[in-house]
Amino acid sequence: MKKMLLTGVLLALSGAGAVKVGALLPLSGAGSVSGQAARNGYLLALEEINKAGGVLGRPLELEFADDGSSPAKAVPEFVKLVTVEKVDFMVGGVSSATSIAISGPAKQYNTFMAWIGAAAVPVEDAFADHKYFFHYHPWSYYNFEAILDYFKHLRVTKKARNIAIAYEDGPFGSAGIGDTVAAFKKAGFNVVMTEKFKTGSGNFGPIVSKAKAARPDIFYWVGYDTDALPLATEIKQQNLNVGLIYGTPPSWPVGFEKNRLADNVAGLSLWLPTSPNAQSRAFVNAYRKKFGNVTEEYFAPLAYVNLKTLAAAINKAGSTDKDKVAAALAATNTQTPFGPLTFTKSNKTRYQGFKAGSWLSFQYLGDDRAPVYPLKFAKKTTVWGK
Amino acid sequence: MELFLQTLLNGLLQSGIYALVASGLALAVGVVGIVNFAHGEFLMIGAFLAWALSTYLGVDPLISLPFAALAVFGVGALTYRVSIRHVLLAPELNQMLLTFGLGILLQNLALIWLGGNTRTVTTGYQGSSLSIGELSVGGPKAIAFGFAVLILGALYGVLYRTTLGRQMRAVAQNRRGSQLIGINVDRVYLIAFGVSCALAAIAGVLVAVLLFASPTVGLVFALKAFAIIVMAGLGNLTGVLWASVVLGVSEALVQTYVPGGGGWSDAVFFLLIFATLVYRSYRGAK
Repeated sequence: MKKMLLTGVLLALSGAGAVKVGALLPLSGAGSVSGQAARNGYLLALEEINKAGGVLGRPLELEFADDGSSPAKAVPEFVKLVTVEKVDFMVGGVSSATSIAISGPAKQYNTFMAWIGAAAVPVEDAFADHKYFFHYHPWSYYNFEAILDYFKHLRVTKKARNIAIAYEDGPFGSAGIGDTVAAFKKAGFNVVMTEKFKTGSGNFGPIVSKAKAARPDIFYWVGYDTDALPLATEIKQQNLNVGLIYGTPPSWPVGFEKNRLADNVAGLSLWLPTSPNAQSRAFVNAYRKKFGNVTEEYFAPLAYVNLKTLAAAINKAGSTDKDKVAAALAATNTQTPFGPLTFTKSNKTRYQGFKAGSWLSFQYLGDDRAPVYPLKFAKKTTVWGK
Repeated sequence: MELFLQTLLNGLLQSGIYALVASGLALAVGVVGIVNFAHGEFLMIGAFLAWALSTYLGVDPLISLPFAALAVFGVGALTYRVSIRHVLLAPELNQMLLTFGLGILLQNLALIWLGGNTRTVTTGYQGSSLSIGELSVGGPKAIAFGFAVLILGALYGVLYRTTLGRQMRAVAQNRRGSQLIGINVDRVYLIAFGVSCALAAIAGVLVAVLLFASPTVGLVFALKAFAIIVMAGLGNLTGVLWASVVLGVSEALVQTYVPGGGGWSDAVFFLLIFATLVYRSYRGAK
């Protein structure tokens, strides 16, 4: 304890400037649950990094900016971090729409970006030629690969054939929807409905009515946490007879698990606090110690891993030179709460971290999220509503 | 046929919540003569009050409804006293900028105090519905529709059957003339603005049950409310209900029958505003 205190005091008095990292997050708006979770992950990592001596013998400083889940707000906040705050590196980035919006200035300022979110393929296109773009979160085609694998399992075990799709009309939901439909069809499913909706509008009556007429086995929706309860409510109110409601929001509403309407709703996650690996257990313990509770949002450990690996790369590089740090980060090979992390090529970008194998499907059962697929991680069997 | 009837029903039920939000805004515009851009934020306060009372004291949102209405009436009256009354004679642009700024202030205060997370309340009747043959009527939306009809009826009654209502109508027609015949215009404005905010809070409580509470939840409904009062005619309270039904049903029909209709829902109300304004201009020119 004394040693840590002494290290902190020495770092503060060292006179050397801090290494500044900018974190652009949706701390408000549609993606705020993920943003707030990520913020906590960063704060935990920051505390651990600085207690252990910071980076390059200097303190690591984190400058948060709220993109408000809005591209219009993200651009000035990003530019301010880079040009006014003069951050050395950028982390964060949850929403695809905001990430696309800042791709121009990111390339203009040649910003080093260790990015945790933004799964939509247009983001991959936008950053394809950016040599300092490290993407931790799987791209949407990796997510879909995991979902399709689960649905194929349901086709065998539950005779699931018909899928109704509802997707939000932003890049997160809309980009690649054509490929999604084609892939479902190729896998032998009937796509009986494909409908857009406006995130946050809460007006799901007509979509659920259409789904009811289409008689799906699986209701698959791509949207944000704000859509979860209104959609579940409407499905219940209209007595939609469906085997599984499966959603892929980046995060779920706070306290959703306590609502009976959440029962049996399924979703995708990179991580759950019940994950048995040692890194996950250590993260959960450290998180509980700092914040007094445990989060189920995977953006918390993802942000934690993001900052820890960036700090390790800076130390390994021995300077804040972007090329040297990029080379060090590219050589990352470490265990994380999500399993091993290495960077390999994706379809278009140079440095892709986690891929399809990291995902697991869970179902709200009781007051908890229970992993149900892949079977090797499953703690419960899928509850099928039909 | 079944899908068509369910679509009409969906639109009708959705219009209840629109009417609740729009009735308050119509009152502020009609009586006080101010376009309140912070109306959605008063709705947001109502939603958060319902969430807080439900989460921390276990109070059902429907029971918390009168408390939320009363509390937000107080906030509205205070807002009127502190800011609105001072710009009533100022150019309209100043009035709009004031209420717009007030909206941003309230939204950001909510962000600072409560954070940006989406908060939901849990009630036993959230997923309840009534089945009529193959058609389903959602419980909370039916309650919202019932409240809208009741409140608009009560407002109509107050405006046309009570002294306060007559005073409100007189003030709405001619501020100076009302003062000359001894009406306390400032008091009438304060009450009208407070009631307008209370109506937004009632809508907010129901929105918390139907959707969620968040600092930005009011924006969507405030925009719809503006469309409705334009359709109904500024300050026309009786027109609010039918305009809400037109908007709700139009949205539902577009969402159900137009391919990719969910993405067009925002266009529907802009189109309705556009059509209404063109029609009114055409009629006025004749």
